[in-house]
Amino acid sequence: MTASTPESYLAEWDQRLLDFEESQHVSVFRRGMRNLIRNRLLLSGVILGVLVVGAGVAGPIIVGGDYELINFSNIHAVPFSEDALLGTDHLGRDTATRLFVAIRVSLAVAVGVTGLALLAGLAIGTISGFRGGWTDRSLSGVMDFIWGFPLILVAVLFAGGLGEGLLSVILAVGLVNMAAIARVVRGEVLALSEREFIEAARAGGLSNWRIIRKHLLPNILAPALVLASYYVAVAIIAEAALSFIGLGAQPPLPSLGQMVAEGRNFLQLNHWETTVPGLTLVVMVLSVSLIGDGLRDVFDPRLRHEAKGLES
Amino acid sequence: MRYLANRTVYMVVILAISSVAVFYAIRLSGGDATAARLPASATEADRETLREVLGLNDPIYQQYFTYMGRLLSGDLGNSLTNNALISKMVIEHGRNSIILGAAAFLLVFVVGVPLGMLASVRRNTFMDQGIMSLSVAGMAVPNFWLALLSIWLFASVLGWLPSAGCCEPRQLILPAIVLAAEGTALTVRMTRSAMLENLDSDWVRTLRAGGLSEARVIGKHVFRNALIPIISLAGLRIGQIVGYALIVEVIFGWPGLGQVLVNAVLRRDYPVAQFFSLVLVVMVVLGNWLADLGYLAANPRLRKA
Repeated sequence: MTASTPESYLAEWDQRLLDFEESQHVSVFRRGMRNLIRNRLLLSGVILGVLVVGAGVAGPIIVGGDYELINFSNIHAVPFSEDALLGTDHLGRDTATRLFVAIRVSLAVAVGVTGLALLAGLAIGTISGFRGGWTDRSLSGVMDFIWGFPLILVAVLFAGGLGEGLLSVILAVGLVNMAAIARVVRGEVLALSEREFIEAARAGGLSNWRIIRKHLLPNILAPALVLASYYVAVAIIAEAALSFIGLGAQPPLPSLGQMVAEGRNFLQLNHWETTVPGLTLVVMVLSVSLIGDGLRDVFDPRLRHEAKGLES
Repeated sequence: MRYLANRTVYMVVILAISSVAVFYAIRLSGGDATAARLPASATEADRETLREVLGLNDPIYQQYFTYMGRLLSGDLGNSLTNNALISKMVIEHGRNSIILGAAAFLLVFVVGVPLGMLASVRRNTFMDQGIMSLSVAGMAVPNFWLALLSIWLFASVLGWLPSAGCCEPRQLILPAIVLAAEGTALTVRMTRSAMLENLDSDWVRTLRAGGLSEARVIGKHVFRNALIPIISLAGLRIGQIVGYALIVEVIFGWPGLGQVLVNAVLRRDYPVAQFFSLVLVVMVVLGNWLADLGYLAANPRLRKA
């Protein structure tokens, strides 16, 4: 559209289309928000999530202490013993202090990486689905290629190339999750592109960018968010699993998987060194899964099969 | 048939690209390959000679073709850590991996499909909810955590099974179950929804109206139709199992390809890491190709195209 088109004309078109979308129940976002409070899955997930995030954010401030501090005079302490709320590990390091830092590491990796993967996946999927033709073929070819490999294998390859550490985990998780999100977004965009209101928007002379921004993105945002919450869980598990086998977070930086691995050798002596980080991990994954399932029920029941069909 | 040809060409292209990617990735990290082979006292001239001998001074694309040529002639080189022949290692550890992988693969379907059927036939009963809750748990619990729990319960507390090792049948049980857990949970869900989709269809109502017994309707007709999507996606389970084997083999001390690869990466044993990652990547690509073939078998319309 030429620059001379008055903004009022475009705004009128936008409004008309938005009214139409609302009448067609395309705009699931607002309807979803209404059901949000009623959804018990979501509510319990959010409560658990707030607890975990609270522990990660406030924990280090309240408990304090140095997570690297080694104290051989007080090793393998059980929870609620003197000076150690959640006990100590084989080096006498305070489990609570380490746990809270580990939660921070896990959350930062999972949420940060998924956020970036979501942005990139949205951009690639939208461009791919909207442009079609060669752009689509090459972009989705690359995405299919990446998506074809199991996340853990990709992460091990990255560790082989860049050395073990969180950087390799972040790149692998980000890359694979981006591909998975881009694939679904592309499908959604293709489906939406055939709807009347997109055709109407083109007929009304709205620019591509305007159509994408005002009419496509709001409609794929809800399914994309549901998908993203699922991939946060995938990222948490992947980071923990890789740290468990020694390819993720490197000591002295604690991580849940690494704490489980270290405590594993002392299961008979003091199982809390394993169970405390392990249960924390389960609660984190459970919380994110509940939020994801709840969001999906609220926003987009169709996604049930798709999200579960994707491999981690 | 064009679909089959397309997918096969695609598979070969993917194999070529990923072998280059793996080669470059591991070579990128190679650091100073001479450090592992020469004593610390070696002079720079010695190192340079060794680099020349190993071909490390050639352009990297040439190194790739040299490497591939040597692979094809069966010369895989030696491990840097214990000097073992990689060709021997891959046979020995490959066999272990195949035993574990095949056991897990079988479990996924032998356990997953009947449970999914049971859940669908007893829809919305206590049984259905129980099975579905288990399957949700199977997908939510990280498999390394499941592995630790099962070691703790069956090896430490009950003492029924060994906690790790290879390669007796008793030692296979726990790793196979843990490796199969997520795939089984997924298969239960897929079977249930595929069965339900067919159970609610018009043709099933027609069969029932025609007087066929419920057992016959379900066993002979619904089940067969429901099986199609599950079989067609079986190839994808291969990739999943290859990925998780990297974790499960390490935890259970099962000396398979995954365990060797992880150790090679941790010990910077590049020749081993290079070849074993290539083997796993090839397995995944072949698994995906099989999934494409399964998709073809399940969708006869594609055969004409």
